[in-house]
Amino acid sequence: MTPTTVTEAVADPAAQAGSPPVRAGTPLSQRLLRGLAFDRIGAVYVWLGIIVLFSLWVPETFPNLATAKQILNANAITALAAMSITIPLAARVFDLSFAGVMTLTGVAVAHLIAKDGVPVVPAIALALAIGVGVGVINAVVVVVMRIDSFIATLATGSLIAALITMVTNEVPITDAKLGGDFARIGQTSIDGVTLAVVYCAIVAIGIWYLLEHTATGRRLYATGFNPDAARLAGVRIDRLRFGSLVASGGLAGATGIVLASTLGSGSPTAGTPYLLPAFAAAFLGATQLKHGRFNAGGTIIAVLLLGTGVTGLALANAPQWAGDMFVGVVLIAALALTGLQRRATRTRGAA
Amino acid sequence: MSAAVQHAPERNGSRPTPPVLEITGLSKTFGATRALIDASLDIRPGEIHALVGQNGSGKSTLIKTLAGYHAPDAGSVAQIDSELFDLGRAVPDGLRFVHQDLGLVLELNAMDNLALHGGFARGAAGRVRWREQEQETYRVLARFGVDLDIHRPLAAATPVERTVVAIAAALQGWNGGRGVLVLDEPTAVLPHDEVERLFAMVREVRSAGTSVLYVSHRLDEIFELADRVTVLRGGRVIGTHDVADIDAAQLASLMVGEDVDPDYRAPVAARPDAPVVLEARDVHGRWLRGVDLDVHRGEILGIAGLAGAGVLELPYVIAGCAQHPVSGRIRLPDRSPEWKDAADARQLDIPLVPADRGREGIVAEFAVSENLSLSVLGRLGRRGRLDKRAEAQLVERWTQRLGVVAAGPGAPISTLSGGNQQKVVVARCLVRDPALLVLCEPTAGVDIGTRVAIYDLIAELSRAGLTVVLSSSDAGDVLAMCTRVVVLRGGKVAAELGGDGLTEHALVSAMEGEDR
Repeated sequence: MTPTTVTEAVADPAAQAGSPPVRAGTPLSQRLLRGLAFDRIGAVYVWLGIIVLFSLWVPETFPNLATAKQILNANAITALAAMSITIPLAARVFDLSFAGVMTLTGVAVAHLIAKDGVPVVPAIALALAIGVGVGVINAVVVVVMRIDSFIATLATGSLIAALITMVTNEVPITDAKLGGDFARIGQTSIDGVTLAVVYCAIVAIGIWYLLEHTATGRRLYATGFNPDAARLAGVRIDRLRFGSLVASGGLAGATGIVLASTLGSGSPTAGTPYLLPAFAAAFLGATQLKHGRFNAGGTIIAVLLLGTGVTGLALANAPQWAGDMFVGVVLIAALALTGLQRRATRTRGAA
Repeated sequence: MSAAVQHAPERNGSRPTPPVLEITGLSKTFGATRALIDASLDIRPGEIHALVGQNGSGKSTLIKTLAGYHAPDAGSVAQIDSELFDLGRAVPDGLRFVHQDLGLVLELNAMDNLALHGGFARGAAGRVRWREQEQETYRVLARFGVDLDIHRPLAAATPVERTVVAIAAALQGWNGGRGVLVLDEPTAVLPHDEVERLFAMVREVRSAGTSVLYVSHRLDEIFELADRVTVLRGGRVIGTHDVADIDAAQLASLMVGEDVDPDYRAPVAARPDAPVVLEARDVHGRWLRGVDLDVHRGEILGIAGLAGAGVLELPYVIAGCAQHPVSGRIRLPDRSPEWKDAADARQLDIPLVPADRGREGIVAEFAVSENLSLSVLGRLGRRGRLDKRAEAQLVERWTQRLGVVAAGPGAPISTLSGGNQQKVVVARCLVRDPALLVLCEPTAGVDIGTRVAIYDLIAELSRAGLTVVLSSSDAGDVLAMCTRVVVLRGGKVAAELGGDGLTEHALVSAMEGEDR
């Protein structure tokens, strides 16, 4: 007997057992409300708990505005990276190449400005075009050539890595020209908060609007949940998947440019460390606000939760390994809890 | 309620045989709902015992309790071969199950699937003795007389072959003798012409002395196969009857609780003189070998035929959703005199109610409203912005019109019964304001009460002027609703039946291509 059979058999009575399985009435709506409050923003409670914990643990350094700004600044790039994969993930398309795209556009923009003497604005436009171009290539491989997105973007990511090494020889591109106008893109700060945080907020609002308030967003989710049903209902699933990969290419490209500006150089490994944290945040975010749907708000909550924990641990002089351990524990706990909750709601639903 | 178990009077004279499985006072409560109330059931050695009931009657709960997925309420007693066992916690060896989804891994072949259930023949260091395993597989399958390549993944096997593998897997390790094989709706996924083959297998199981508990929606199967039948309604056992002593109308009314005619005919009128609204010419596809079709306004045109005749392909071609390359011409003469290539049929915007509701119909993670509006999102709101109020109004209007029973538009679609899910899928098609509606297997896997509700719904839509093309491998569906039937055989139109010529005999003869 396969595991699926068992879970399906257990889950099924919701639809079968009760007489009419759904009935209108206040108890249900009350129960729903209670369930929502608990399921929806569980991570926010955990986040608040962590804040209280560190405020008691390291009262001298943790509970102040500077730390809060530091957490925002340090996690803006992670949040942007996570945002860039939220759109394809909504359509159940993986873009594992996004970290490579970040590096590539960062290196490209640095190379153009430092080595080729291209002015800042056209250099940024070109680098962005490269990001979008990689998105198009991903889309062609996944949608037109029908290769599974996971392996396809792993492959294009590898091609990108080769290209980066070819151009940089694994030496970061540094130059005084990268210090001027270009540095201001990421390094300007307003009252201690860098512009990257502002970009992140804008992108998050944009993705929230797209997924929540447009027909395209609804269709992206439908494509992700049940492509066959979506196709038969007239949704152009291939076009949406194509677009989602182009969007993530463009967004990851923009993130890479901001990162290069923040670093003041074109590093051949700049994007790599963001690969796993971005996916972690996106998946943790999908357990928040909108059960099982990748969404902007949830992703932001997840980034804040993970970022606060890691920063707090660093301030508390916890050992080096504590941060990674924290991320791992939170992910497993959050996803396990969501699974349990869902099962509990199902059982109650059967009632 | 145990009085409900009526042992039919024919037993006078015959020596009472001790039942192989006996359940008394079985109750199961989920929260506030009593899914099973004091249910009792006994299964005699070597009988095929049918268990029938509508969705929500407690059938599935009973089966899942037997299979150990649910622990029953206190007071429930079960014995197998006069030995008590712990219902819901232990599953005695004398009980074997084939669940509706068969529990097979389709990517693996028959040999591996049998071994997953029954264990691998292993040698030293855990090495699988493949030769031995192969012989065992042949031995197990031999009794069912299927010619199946045991090295090919089951995905390539026919549905009935998969069912046989599942039955064989369930029966492994039993060499005949007393026991109960539980078959949960085994024909739900089988094409009409393969059902007979399955029945032969079930009789083969019985002939070895094993009892069969056969769960089904379909009354005709019960009369063909079963010895006795137990009816569940609202969690209670309504009665157990000898099949010989009861007729289909009685059984149906026991299930539904009111008089339901299994020979229901939807009140629809034929419209031979109405203008043609859909023309298809020379349609070819994976199964289709040149089909011409004319559909008249307001009629319910049936497309009937056996599996492989193209019955399931033609609707997808018309709706522009075919998975395989197709050719031919299609047009809607009302809307445009221009012919479209069948490959571009999607542009005709003809909606389809797909055959497999769970896989192709609903988006299980979506709410009722999101499922309903999916096909017309572009129309709701301006410049890409989704107007939630317009969506709510649309959903409200259509759920009311089709009588969808749900906790509200925001309820997850997975909490609805199968019939109500089907209504949502139909509504999703109708909101597109189509020239005609194409339905594929509209009553697959729904019980008789829901079936009649779907028939009535389609008849009502037809009276309101909608043209319907209905394709089904179930002759009952076609007879109940259609004013005219096109019978496909071998990918071509073999016969056209209408008016007085549309009888069950004529239809089945035409489908099977015999002159009976």
